[in-house]
Amino acid sequence: MVNGKASHIEGEKDSLTFGTMCPKGIASILETVNPNRLTKPLKRVGERGSGKWVEIPWQEALDLIADKIREAQRRYGPSSVLVGQGTGRGYNRYTLRFARSIGTPNVLFPAHFCFAPRMAAFGLTVGGRLFCDYHGWGGVHPKTIVHWGKQLEYSNADGEMGVWFLRALEKAQNFILVDPRATALAHRATLWVPIRPGTDAALALGVLRVIIEEKLYDREFVEKWTYGFEALAERVRQYDLKWVSHITWVPEEKIKAMARAIACEGPACIQIGQALEASNNSIQTLRAIICILAITGNIERPGSMVQWVPSPAGPMEDFALEVPAPEELPIGANEHKLLAMPPFAMCHWDSVCKDLLYGEKKVKVMHLVGTNPVLAYANAKEVFQALSEVEFISVVDLYMGPSARFADLVLPAAHWLETDDIYDMHPRFFVSAIVKAVEPPGEAWPDNRIFLELGKRLAPIYWPFEDVEEMLDYQLRKAGIRWEEFKEVGVLATTGEVHYNKHERGYWRKGGGFPTPTGKVELYSTTLEKLGYDPLPHYKEPNESPLDGSLSGVYPLILTTGGRVPYYFHSQYRENPWLRELQPYPVVQIHPETASKYGIKEGDWVWIETPRGRIKQKAKLFSGMDPRIVVVQSSWYYPEDPSVQSLFISNANVLTSNDPPL
Amino acid sequence: MRLKLQVDPRKCIGCRACTVACKMEHQFPPYPTSPPQAEPKGPSFIRVFEGGPFIVDGKVGQSFRVVVCRQCTHPLCKEACPLGAIFQTQEGVLEVDRDICTGCGLCKEACPIGAPEFLPDGTVAMCDLCLHRVRDGKEPICVAVCPSRCLQVLEIPWVG
Repeated sequence: MVNGKASHIEGEKDSLTFGTMCPKGIASILETVNPNRLTKPLKRVGERGSGKWVEIPWQEALDLIADKIREAQRRYGPSSVLVGQGTGRGYNRYTLRFARSIGTPNVLFPAHFCFAPRMAAFGLTVGGRLFCDYHGWGGVHPKTIVHWGKQLEYSNADGEMGVWFLRALEKAQNFILVDPRATALAHRATLWVPIRPGTDAALALGVLRVIIEEKLYDREFVEKWTYGFEALAERVRQYDLKWVSHITWVPEEKIKAMARAIACEGPACIQIGQALEASNNSIQTLRAIICILAITGNIERPGSMVQWVPSPAGPMEDFALEVPAPEELPIGANEHKLLAMPPFAMCHWDSVCKDLLYGEKKVKVMHLVGTNPVLAYANAKEVFQALSEVEFISVVDLYMGPSARFADLVLPAAHWLETDDIYDMHPRFFVSAIVKAVEPPGEAWPDNRIFLELGKRLAPIYWPFEDVEEMLDYQLRKAGIRWEEFKEVGVLATTGEVHYNKHERGYWRKGGGFPTPTGKVELYSTTLEKLGYDPLPHYKEPNESPLDGSLSGVYPLILTTGGRVPYYFHSQYRENPWLRELQPYPVVQIHPETASKYGIKEGDWVWIETPRGRIKQKAKLFSGMDPRIVVVQSSWYYPEDPSVQSLFISNANVLTSNDPPL
Repeated sequence: MRLKLQVDPRKCIGCRACTVACKMEHQFPPYPTSPPQAEPKGPSFIRVFEGGPFIVDGKVGQSFRVVVCRQCTHPLCKEACPLGAIFQTQEGVLEVDRDICTGCGLCKEACPIGAPEFLPDGTVAMCDLCLHRVRDGKEPICVAVCPSRCLQVLEIPWVG
C-alpha cells in the first residue's frame, strides 16, 4: 500500500491456487484508483440517458428505491418488481435472498443460459452438479480430459480453476478438445474435434452410439447404478455415425477415437462449457454428455467427475434458500418449466423482454446489480427498447456503465478489494474470505451492505442483522467460527478422499444411491417425463440453420459469439488501461479463404451482419477453423464514447436472436 | 553461476498475466484516465505475441511467442550502447545505468528480439529478473503468477 492506495497485489503461494493469477486479477488494483469510479448515489434529473444527475445522500437513495418497490408491489402485485444481477458474483446469494424476501418470483440471473442448464441437467440426471476431479485427492488424476465448448484456461471457472486443470493436463494421457476453433491449447491436444457450432448433441449421441455398440461401457456401473440404459440404447440406435459425421462436420474416425478414449482410458472427466448452454436444445445436449460419463462409470470415482462435499460452513446459497420462494411463478417459467423448479427458480429474460415490448408489461420496477442487459442478452435492440418501457430502474455499479447511463437512480458499489465478504460462488469444496484491503472511493458501499440496508427497509424480518459483520457471522455459524476469526484463517476447505464414491457409502441414501427419484443415475429422466419433456436426449438443428437453404443463401456463414480473451470478463475491464492495452478493439476471427473471398485483409474493420442488424469488429485471419465459421467477440462497448451508438456498434448481441425455439 | 529466465513457449496459453504482473511490479503506465483512453500504451519487460495457427504432423495448433530479455552470453545490446551504459550485476543480470542512458534506442535495435523497453522518463531498461525479489528469496513476479508454469529462473555457468 502506498498513500492508502493499493500498489501491489500478489497471490498466496501456499493457497489452493499456488499464488498464480490472471491478468485481470493483477490489473484489479487499478480499479481502486480509477477516476471514473462512481462515488456517490445519483438521481436522474434530465431525460434518461442525458447524463444529467444530482448527488443525493445514501439514506435518500435507499428510501427512494424502497418507496418505488413498495408502491409498485401495492399497485401491481409483488411480482411487478424484478431484481437482477449479471454473471455469477460473490453476492449471488444476497440478490436471491433479497428477491425472495420482498416476495417477488422475478429474480433475473443470466444463469438461465449460463451455468443453470448445467446445474439442471446434472441435477435431473445425477442429483447434483459434478465437477472435474483435477485434484487427485484419491491418488489418481484424470487420464483423459475432455474440454467441450470450453476454454478453462481463459474463462468461466464455474467451480474449477484454470490452474488446477493446467496442472492435471501435465499428467493426463489424453486431452480431447471439442471446439470449432483450434484454441490456445490445441497444440497440446491429443485429439482436436472441430465441430460445427450448435451440433454438440449429435456428437454426444454419436459417442454414445460407439460406446454402446462396441460394448465399451462400464457394465457393473450401468447395471448397479443407472436407470434406463435399454431405453437410451434404443434411442441412440436412431443416430448412425455417418449421419452424425455429416451433421457435425467431424470425421467418423475422430468420433470413434473420442468415444474409445473416454470409455477405455479412464478415469475421464468432461469439462462442459457455456457454449453448449447458449444454443437451443441445451438441456438435451448436456444430458447426452452426462450419459456418456454415466455409462463409462466416470462418476464419483477419483480422477473423474465428483460432487464436492461442501466446506464446514455448508453451502453458502442456503442463506438465500432459507427464505421461502414466492408461490407465483417467475415470468416465462410456465413455458420453460425447469425455471420453475426449486431451488433456483428465476425468470426467463427473453420472456420478460417480449412481455415488455408486446405484452402486459408486467415488470414496473427493476433493481439491477452489476449487469448490462443490452450487452449480455440476445437481440440488443429489443433489450434496449424493453428497458425503456420499465417505469423505474435503479442500478448498482462500479462505473457509469451501459445500464447506469439509462437508469433513474445509480448507486456506487465498492470493489472486492474494498469489501469484506465470504466467497463461495458455486457449490465447491471451499469458502474463502474476501478481506477489505483498501478504502472505497468516496461513498461507495459494498454490495452486501446495500442489500442489507434495502432489506431492512422492505423485509426486516429477513434482514435482522445490525450490520454486515453480524450477517457474515450468521452465515458462518455452521462452521462454529465468526468473521473476525475467519478473515484471519482465510479459507475453510474440505479436501481428501471424503469426496469420492458417496453413492456407495450411503452419503445421500441409506444403503447407497444417488439423490434422484429412482436413486440411480437417470439416463432416462423421470422428472423430465413428468414435466412433459423428452426423457431421453435427442438432437435438434440450431436455429437459423445452414441447412435452411432460404436463409443460408443470403447469410452463408455461421456465427459464433463465443470468442473470449483472458483480459476481459464480459463487459468488464474496457476502462482498465493495463488490460485495454492488450487488445483495444474487438476482434473477429475469419478464415483466410473466407477473408479473401470478401476482400478482407488482416486488421480491417469489417461489418458482420445477420437478419437483426450489423456490427463492426477488427478482422484477424485465422486458419485454425472451418472457413464457414466466423468468431465474434462478445460484450463490447466503448467506455470512452458516451453516445448510445457506442453500445451497439460492436455489440455481438445486435446480431443474435431472441425468438423461439429456445 | 549467473541467472536467466527460462521460457517454455509450448506451455504458454497467451493469458498475459506475466505482462501485466511486470507492469504492476514496476508501477508502469498507462494509468487510468478520465475519460478512459481507447489505445493506452506503456512498457513491460515481458510480452507475448500470438503466432500460428500452425500445422505439424496434421495437428493444428496456436502458438505464443514470449519476448523477454534472454540474458545473452554475448549481449549485443551491451556492445551496441555508444555510452557503455549497459552492465551486468553480480548475478550476471543485464542492467542499464539510467544516469548515463540517453534513450537513443540502439540497444533495442541491436537486440535480436527487441527486448529493451522505453520507460516513461525516456530511458531504456530490460528485464532485471526482479532482482529486488530474487535477492529476498522470492521468485520474479512473472514466474510467481504464471498459471501454466512456463517460466522459471535458471542458474547457468558464466562463460567468457
